[in-house]
Amino acid sequence: MNSPAIAFVRRHGTLIGVALVVVYFWLHLPATFLTGRNLLNISQQMSMLTVVASTMTVVMAMGDFDLSVGSMASLAGVVAALVFLAGGSTAVAIGVALSAGLVGGLLNGFLVAYVGILPFILTLGAMTVYGGLAFWLSGGKTLFGSAIPHGFSDFARSGIPLGFDLTFPNLTLLALLSAALVWVFLEQTVAGRRLYAIGDNAEAARLAGVPVRPLRFASFGLAGVGAALAGLMYASRVASANPTQGSGLMLDAIAAVFLGQTMTEEGEPRVLATLAGVLIIGVLGNGLTQMNVDSYVRDMLTGAIVIAAVATSSLGRRRGE
Amino acid sequence: MSLLSVARLAKTYGGAAALRDASLTIEAGEVHALMGENGAGKSTLIRILAGVVQADSGEITVAGEPASIANARDAYRLGLRFLHQELNVASRLSVAENIFLGRAYPTRWGGLVDWAALRDRASAALAALSASHIAPETIVGRLAVGDRMIVKIASTFVDDASAPGRIFVMDEPTAALTSEESERLFRILDELQRRRAGVLYVSHRIEEVLRISNRITVLRDGVSQSPIATAEATREMLIERMTGRTRLEAAARPRQSTNARVALSVDRLTGKGLEEISFDVREGEILGLAGLGDAGGDRLLRALMGAMTGGSVAIAGEGVRPRGPAEGWRRGLAYVPRERRSEGLLLSQSISDNVALPHLNRLSHLRLFLNRLAERAETAAVGRRVRLRATGPRQRAWRLSGGNQQKVMFARAVAGAPRLLLLDEPTRGVDVAARFDIHALLREIAAAGAAVVIASSDREELLALCSRIAILTDGRLSRIVPAEGLTAARLLALCYGDDRV
Repeated sequence: MNSPAIAFVRRHGTLIGVALVVVYFWLHLPATFLTGRNLLNISQQMSMLTVVASTMTVVMAMGDFDLSVGSMASLAGVVAALVFLAGGSTAVAIGVALSAGLVGGLLNGFLVAYVGILPFILTLGAMTVYGGLAFWLSGGKTLFGSAIPHGFSDFARSGIPLGFDLTFPNLTLLALLSAALVWVFLEQTVAGRRLYAIGDNAEAARLAGVPVRPLRFASFGLAGVGAALAGLMYASRVASANPTQGSGLMLDAIAAVFLGQTMTEEGEPRVLATLAGVLIIGVLGNGLTQMNVDSYVRDMLTGAIVIAAVATSSLGRRRGE
Repeated sequence: MSLLSVARLAKTYGGAAALRDASLTIEAGEVHALMGENGAGKSTLIRILAGVVQADSGEITVAGEPASIANARDAYRLGLRFLHQELNVASRLSVAENIFLGRAYPTRWGGLVDWAALRDRASAALAALSASHIAPETIVGRLAVGDRMIVKIASTFVDDASAPGRIFVMDEPTAALTSEESERLFRILDELQRRRAGVLYVSHRIEEVLRISNRITVLRDGVSQSPIATAEATREMLIERMTGRTRLEAAARPRQSTNARVALSVDRLTGKGLEEISFDVREGEILGLAGLGDAGGDRLLRALMGAMTGGSVAIAGEGVRPRGPAEGWRRGLAYVPRERRSEGLLLSQSISDNVALPHLNRLSHLRLFLNRLAERAETAAVGRRVRLRATGPRQRAWRLSGGNQQKVMFARAVAGAPRLLLLDEPTRGVDVAARFDIHALLREIAAAGAAVVIASSDREELLALCSRIAILTDGRLSRIVPAEGLTAARLLALCYGDDRV
């Protein structure tokens, strides 16, 4: 099971699959798919997911999950809208919403790292708590109207002019900036290296002097902030906030990290690979939408692709076990 | 006619002879003890009887009939019952369910479990062991260890008309028991003898064996010696038989100057399973920790690395009391854990990542950003020191052989120039060449002034390396003896509690 061909498929199978998908869309949508405008459009559509998937990569580098990020994104959007409705400024709204994300994330981190609840179970609970809180605070309604300042909603609708009637969207820029920060954190700092050590073997890392608990605590805090930022970006884009708008983010973020893991040498989560995973999900969604394929078919295909990618990458893996 | 007779059993695993010529017989109503050092072949003999592995040659006879045991089912049908030191109980199920585990539950109404009958039959099995204090509906996880052992024994006692149990093989059954629980087990052994069953009793505990067995067979290097009637056996005789002719360790031990400064001072240290341990280690000294089975050497090292609950530790006169491994490494302690795969290595990461992990603050820019050049340079330097054979610092740890993986653990430990090096079974599962390299390195580190503490079950290793050896017994420090002039047999006798030196 270790022939070079299998090794190649294992490592690059996901990319090969994606290349085939892109070629397929390109052939069927020659006028609209591979155009600068459409690609920039995809990047904007994917900007929220990029932020959440990047911070999810941090948590998954330790071998944990955070299932509450979608609810947290919704909650942060609702919180910001409520601050606007109460007459708060844009800066205050953003500050309060990001703080809510930080506090919620750190609460998750505390319960995981210091109380010892399994992340899966804890964040599953947190998901429903934060989701319920968003409903309660918003009264179950979409919050919009004149209270949401133009400065806040214009941000998502503008960008840097590129010429040829194209603009580089602000949301894309913000997403890439977030991903770059996470990349520096995971790949270039001592703390990032220690997170990967925890993900490889938590007990060995602890005995080798890695402060496991503080790192887990902080990482969940970061995931909370990432989710809140994504919620703000969404609220800015649609100039409103409703208590379910972040709900699709969690599964897509985890799927993106998994897709990325299939492309790395030892199957570990890496930010750049996660970005490739985000791109796959984005390209697939955009292409299928343009071909007027129903959204439930899109969901089925996305799920099938994740499963297929993970399956090919586990071909002949597992050394000596 | 003997109940069980094995003759001239031999078994080789991939070129290494585990059992070369083992014979013994068990009579009805007899408790037959089997003794021998680690690696003498006891486990292999048990595995053959249990049908886990097949002997390469030799014969097994059960009640006069030649028997072939190809799997666990055959062993069961022949009336062999096994009791291991690890208690494999389903701790969330009830006592009655555990007793019938892996066997047909009594049923009624065409297939539904007859819980009342299950309980009654479990009760009867427990009563036969005079263990009626255990209620059959109790959840096993709530029982004390000794009672769990009794549940296991009871499950081997449940009447099975097609294959009644008649030969009971017990592997270190008292290892995890309190003395009171052991007494209960011994009464069960009496009961078994009264019923004319046979018992093969494997134990390291000489006192116990002398007290409860009828005959003793000693295995050494895979060869059995003719059985001794327990009435004629003595502790000294058994130790000599287990270790063979006593010989002096040839390797040169580092000369210990008695006026060196105290490097490590431990005063009334307590911790999980440890009671008030006090000792000093001088600069340049290697102290060994010896003991039988679960005596506490590993726990002592963990306690020094931050798990201590009381007492004080000073390094070079300066009080340190790490609250965890992170602080321990910061204060100049280094630790090589026992299980390199589960407690030591990051298998999917590079050698350099593994070696640098505890030293990242030093090998970084501003203690914040990684400095991969410094990590690789350091890894290359300590890699040469431990004679690591690898393609380079970026090779993944899982690709290395066991010996080289262990050297990665050593490279990690010595990279920070530790003041105190704590080693748990440093050469376990390591080949001769790597073991030689590791020993040479340890002498060099000690000579450079570090204090080294080694817990090892390999007595030859302790004698070759250490200037003094601390004997631990059930979490207490019973004495510290100089290694000079000590033999492996003598050290074993000391571990068994012999007071003469």
